[in-house]
Amino acid sequence: MTFIEYTWLIPLLPIVGLLLAAAFGKRTPEGGGYFVVASVAAACALALLVAYEFFTGDGAPVFASQVWIDLGTINGTQYQFEMGYYVDYLTALLLIVVSIICTLIVVYSLGYMHEEGERKRRYYVEIALFVTGMLGMVVASNYLTAFVFWEIMGLCSYLLIGFWYYKPSAARAAKKAFLTTRIGDISFMLGIIALFGAFGTLNYHQLFDPAFTESFNVDYGLLLFAMLCFFGAAIGKSAQFPLHDWLPDAMEGPTTVSALIHAATMVNAGVYLVARSYPLMVQTPEVMIVIAAIGGFTAFFAATQALNNFNIKRVLAYSTISQLGLMFMALGCGGYIIATAGVDEHLLEVGNVGYMAGVFHLMNHAFFKGLLFLSAGAVIHAVHTEDMKKMGGLSKKLKITSLVMLIGCLAIAGIPPFSGFWSKDLVLESALSAAGVNTWFWLLYIGGVVVTFMTAFYMFRLWFMTFKGEESEAAHHAHEAPAVMWVPLAILAVAATITGLFLLGPDGGLPAVIYTVSPEGIAIPGETLGLGWIERFFTAWPTYLSLAMAVGGIGVAYLAYSKKTLSLEFFVKGSSKKVYDVVQRRYYFPEFYDFVGEKGMYGLARLVDWIDRRVVDGVVNAIAQVAVGTSGKVRRVQTGYTQTYAAVVVAAVSVILVLLYIFTGAR
Amino acid sequence: MIPQEYFMVLGGVLFAIGAFGVLTRKNAIVVLMCIEIMLNAANINFVTFAVFSGNATGQVFALFSIAIAAAEVAVGLAILLNLQRLQDTIELQDLNTLRW
Repeated sequence: MTFIEYTWLIPLLPIVGLLLAAAFGKRTPEGGGYFVVASVAAACALALLVAYEFFTGDGAPVFASQVWIDLGTINGTQYQFEMGYYVDYLTALLLIVVSIICTLIVVYSLGYMHEEGERKRRYYVEIALFVTGMLGMVVASNYLTAFVFWEIMGLCSYLLIGFWYYKPSAARAAKKAFLTTRIGDISFMLGIIALFGAFGTLNYHQLFDPAFTESFNVDYGLLLFAMLCFFGAAIGKSAQFPLHDWLPDAMEGPTTVSALIHAATMVNAGVYLVARSYPLMVQTPEVMIVIAAIGGFTAFFAATQALNNFNIKRVLAYSTISQLGLMFMALGCGGYIIATAGVDEHLLEVGNVGYMAGVFHLMNHAFFKGLLFLSAGAVIHAVHTEDMKKMGGLSKKLKITSLVMLIGCLAIAGIPPFSGFWSKDLVLESALSAAGVNTWFWLLYIGGVVVTFMTAFYMFRLWFMTFKGEESEAAHHAHEAPAVMWVPLAILAVAATITGLFLLGPDGGLPAVIYTVSPEGIAIPGETLGLGWIERFFTAWPTYLSLAMAVGGIGVAYLAYSKKTLSLEFFVKGSSKKVYDVVQRRYYFPEFYDFVGEKGMYGLARLVDWIDRRVVDGVVNAIAQVAVGTSGKVRRVQTGYTQTYAAVVVAAVSVILVLLYIFTGAR
Repeated sequence: MIPQEYFMVLGGVLFAIGAFGVLTRKNAIVVLMCIEIMLNAANINFVTFAVFSGNATGQVFALFSIAIAAAEVAVGLAILLNLQRLQDTIELQDLNTLRW
């Protein structure tokens, strides 16, 4: 145990790069980008060493922390908050994923942002701060520290989405992202307060210990509330229904930012939060149903919107929302099974597959979505437009890009042996298992299968529209991206191909994603299948169903957008045009947000303003008015006539004398 | 010997006359004179008590009082002189600018 002791350095290293870039960015090439690349790479190296050490260790969580804030003891509760690191399987896995992808994206930025000029320094500083936020959130040892880094990420997403702030649409998108995720942040804060009220601590190592939590006789309602709030936070950060609409707009930022924040890391923070809180969440089956339902619905809902969008990045944004929905669905289904399993060891094992599927999909998705976004960035870099109608026939000019993007599309569509296949099938399997416990989960399974079809369709629609068909105007001037851009793409393409195969590794396949202890404190046996997973997948009918769906989706996209023998025009005409328009208008969600914002929140703000002006200020003003009015009357006593004053004095003295005579007598 | 009460009554009557004058007369000089009457009423009382108690303190006090009254008249007349110059009047009912 040597490297793990330095886990706390991982989020601090990018800060060094940040400071160097901020101080010397104007005088160094690429606006100090090399400092940031070096520091993020150093953080990545350390993260990989820590993860390696952890995976070769005994698997027990490693944690250490120091007192950060000590408010003393109030009413018998010790208000003491710590700051530190906590490394377990989930942390180690996320460290690998986040640090590798961040490094590749920062390297890619050197090429992509090359022409930005003066603003590059700001870009690299903000990116470094963002990486710090995500890494800090991952290694944090308690919810409060995690919340701090969570907020840093929120800030950075605002800054980076609004990177081209002189464009009104970008400024609007940044505001929208910030305000929408803020709802989730408030929910997170409420959850933390409720949790602290319940257990008097926010440290993971205490909260995740069933022996510790059972020693409290915690009110179930309070725990339920806290867990719902945590999921509310995840909804905001991971763009789930009904707070999903900021993510498509967030595509206003540079593509590297989209890749970093909105595919590979920030949106994963919500999933990470749910996976992290699993030991607490599985005690509340209701929350698990909510997670599964919202996840499943979002997966379906977002996928439909990707079907007819013509902006290459927006399609990817919707697919991100949809895939995140699948992760939540898996986590919810698995958690529901674990929550209702009690001491049934078989059910616990089945439920664990859901947890595994969610985290596994998180990892695979991070790689292939990072790949897809960066490939899209290379395309945009080459043709200077995001409109897919103006692309087409690019495969001849952009050979490498078209190839790596094809790998990404195959991965997300779920074609074996690419990574998406393994995790997506596990997601569907967990939904199917949950359907065995509660028949309502059949809806989620069917939805998931349909999503598989839609995913394959819209991803290959994107690919065929961009790279196949007749060569467009823009394609003539297109040129392949520089090496600093395509090398990260190639690495990500390799990752998108192989990460799914980690499932087949020795030592219980993917030990990283096994959630080990049930709420009753029973150790859950890991799925030590190894290569047996292949047999398990290919002897079950659902695998073939989803595979058929994926191939079907690709086939329809091929016929419609490459061979053009199948016309989908009937969606744009006649009675189905209305449906088409509704989807194109994003189910009127921007309007709904505006309505809530203008009518609801602005109305509330006006009411509060009225109360402030009329009631609060009114009371103060009324007191002042009374004083002014009374003194206005009373001051008339001062007539200015000396003799009146003298008369008053004489009269008063006389009265006093008389009173003295009456009360004390003549002495 | 004249009894003490007679002196006391004289003092009281003089004081009352002075106070009445202060409250009713319009001319500031007359008011000043009335104040002198009130002071002298007090002096009579001082002297009376001094004589009848066989203690000289009252006599001394009366002397002080007369000295101070002289000074007061000097200051008062100076004020009135300036009033006449600045406001062209020393009628008290016209001098009411120091008010609300």
